[in-house]
Amino acid sequence: MTVLSRRAFGTGATAAAASLLVGCSSGGEGVRTSGTPSSGATPTQSATGNRTSAKSARAVGRSAPVRLRIPALGVDTPVMRLGLASDGTVQVPPLTDHDQAGWYEHSPTPGQTGPSVILGHVTVGEYGDGVFHDLTRLRRGEKIVARLENGTETEFTVTSLRTVAKADFPVDDVYGNVDRPELRLITCGGPRDENGYLDNVIAFAALTSSTSP
Amino acid sequence: MRRTVRRTVLSAVALAATAVLAGTAPAFADGTSPTPAPSVAPTEATPEPSTAPTQAPADLAPSEAATTDPNQEPSQVAEVPKGAPDTGVTPTSTDSGTPGTLIGGGAAAAFALGGAALFVVRRRRATGA
Repeated sequence: MTVLSRRAFGTGATAAAASLLVGCSSGGEGVRTSGTPSSGATPTQSATGNRTSAKSARAVGRSAPVRLRIPALGVDTPVMRLGLASDGTVQVPPLTDHDQAGWYEHSPTPGQTGPSVILGHVTVGEYGDGVFHDLTRLRRGEKIVARLENGTETEFTVTSLRTVAKADFPVDDVYGNVDRPELRLITCGGPRDENGYLDNVIAFAALTSSTSP
Repeated sequence: MRRTVRRTVLSAVALAATAVLAGTAPAFADGTSPTPAPSVAPTEATPEPSTAPTQAPADLAPSEAATTDPNQEPSQVAEVPKGAPDTGVTPTSTDSGTPGTLIGGGAAAAFALGGAALFVVRRRRATGA
């Protein structure tokens, strides 16, 4: 073989190798695109991390709540006890001029491990605004303080706020077991029809500290 | 001599290139071998993303620990209420009527003032003041 023929052979071999590499890279792109969904899952994972970032405090003993404060909303109200209505739904505070919040007595007390449920009206008919009228303004990270009968103050931090259709009320998310002391504030909201509000507004919070008397 | 060498080399290169192209052709064309891979990959990939997001919102946030072992432990809420709480009695329409009344009253007052001013001006002109 002459020099020229060697060069020609080398060029041909290089071209052949290059064409093979092109084929591999296109295969690589195929892998990348198939991996796109997993990258799409990343935000939800980071959201999980953010939402659970609130450090949970130690649970406290059972004692009914007597007062509720939400400094960001200017709420400072007594808390009454609520049970079940005859139709199996949860009782709500009576409509009075001085509307107040109510703790569902079959749920854990604030600070106990589990979801403690406190309800309040968004509006109280002719009396105007309810105690939870501005609940939708609550933001993640803001504080909620529940004072208990035994003098303990339990401080919760809002982890999320959800507006859900009443028809799709998330029973498990609200009343389901949890592994730390949590709080749910519930009121009505959203659009209205002749029967009233169509949605529920739910603030989810986790215990971050407690002070004993 | 050189010409024959060139010819043989060139033909060899052409043959090699053809062989390579023929080999890679199935990878580009929609032949049998490439299609199974993409078609299988999405179908395999779809279950994972679809399950991951659906689980994530339900498990997120405060409710993330919920429903972990509801069967093993007793419910922390002794009696779970039915349905959604009705925590809002819509405001009555008596309040909403007030602003409308105010606006109507204001418009009437302005109209009356305008009429009175017009009357005074005409009267002054008539008297030559």
